[in-house]
Amino acid sequence: MVLLSRKGCNSSQMGALYECEAAQGKHVSLETTGSDPSERERLADCVEQIAHARSRPAFAELFEYFAPRIKSYLIRLGSDASSAEEIMQEVMLNIWRKAEQYDRRQASVSTWIFRIARNRRIDSLRRTNKPELDAEDPMLQPAEIELPDISVNRAQLEVKVREVIETLPGEQLVLLKAAFYEGLSHSEIAKSFGLPLGTVKSRIRLAFMRLRGSLERDH
Amino acid sequence: MLDDNLDPTISPKQSDSFEECAKPMGKATINDFGEIYSSYAAGCLDPAFCLLVETQAALRPDVQRAVARAETIAGVFFESEEMATLSAGAADKALALIDAYEAGERPVAQAVKLAGEGLDELLELPEPLRETALHSYQTHKWQGLTQGIRRLRLDAGSEAEVELYRIEPGCTVPKHSHHGSEFTLVVAGGFSDESGSFGPGDISLKGPEDTHQPTGDMDGVCYALAIRDGGLKFTGVMGLIQRLVGQ
Repeated sequence: MVLLSRKGCNSSQMGALYECEAAQGKHVSLETTGSDPSERERLADCVEQIAHARSRPAFAELFEYFAPRIKSYLIRLGSDASSAEEIMQEVMLNIWRKAEQYDRRQASVSTWIFRIARNRRIDSLRRTNKPELDAEDPMLQPAEIELPDISVNRAQLEVKVREVIETLPGEQLVLLKAAFYEGLSHSEIAKSFGLPLGTVKSRIRLAFMRLRGSLERDH
Repeated sequence: MLDDNLDPTISPKQSDSFEECAKPMGKATINDFGEIYSSYAAGCLDPAFCLLVETQAALRPDVQRAVARAETIAGVFFESEEMATLSAGAADKALALIDAYEAGERPVAQAVKLAGEGLDELLELPEPLRETALHSYQTHKWQGLTQGIRRLRLDAGSEAEVELYRIEPGCTVPKHSHHGSEFTLVVAGGFSDESGSFGPGDISLKGPEDTHQPTGDMDGVCYALAIRDGGLKFTGVMGLIQRLVGQ
């Protein structure tokens, strides 16, 4: 029984792919297609147009950009195509509903939407494992819980993370991605990349050290 | 291990070195949990442990920062996610959903109508534990264990066993060992056992070899979120934590 909720994620294949591409000097498919600042501005404009004018064209633009990414993310975490699409639709509706809560000074649209998608994914796991409950039960309203950011400046953090990701050597970047985006443990990463555990830990540590500038400003 | 700027330990008495901590232990350090936070951020963590991480973050700014960092890194990588093919008409369906929403076809949040002993206290819990506890209270109710000790089974959507403990000051949970590992997050008040004292935001880790007999501290009722894996073998990040507790 696997308590870690990642089904169907073939990390060893992924690791082998990265190693292979890294050996050929490729950029290991980590180009951040949305990291262009003007595109980020455009996406933030879309969310604001939804918030202020309930703009459907703006929603359609966000849908075009994010819906395929959300679906792909969910499938990679083990959803089948139809439930991935169902959850993606819930996420897109949430974006519409929560647009007024978005603050472009706090985060990019991508990191904001990623958290909504990730939270929906966790909710769907909770629902899957729960017994059938009465839908009329007033307690069953969907949770709208977000951690209050009492001590975190996400915007500063994001600037630094983007800087680091753009300049990090490929060998550190793939490991950072495996740990933080694919959610693998260090020993799983070591196994799938065929690296000693100590090497994995030190490369991730090196990558993380580069974030320290922003971490210091956090305090 | 990853983040030098965090308060390296939950207790100043604990070592901040990962290697030195890699043995059966009482109190989990934030370093032990670095991989749990990254796994949580990525959406790969079991729901019971998501509840643990979210509740701990609500109690501790350092944990909240660690989680926010992990989420930001994940969020930036999300931009380079592949583009899956959508089913035909997916965009039209999305527009129909927002039309339906705008037309008012939305669930109306109703006031929670509940009553009963032990309920008022649940309302004081930090989210998201509060919601889970209120939800579970409908089905399970408090269960008396011994004098001054009650527990409420929580439906966390996990196959692990999840319970909320309520320990009155000076009362002791019967000495017990675990079939597997036990993770206990103090939510309010505190308890002490052979391995030390635990306050709000602290996590106690116990392996199958450990027995303990926690006693509620005298400064108020203690609430604690306990997760037991029941001897199930974890993989991935949770496997790492099991090895920490010698399983």
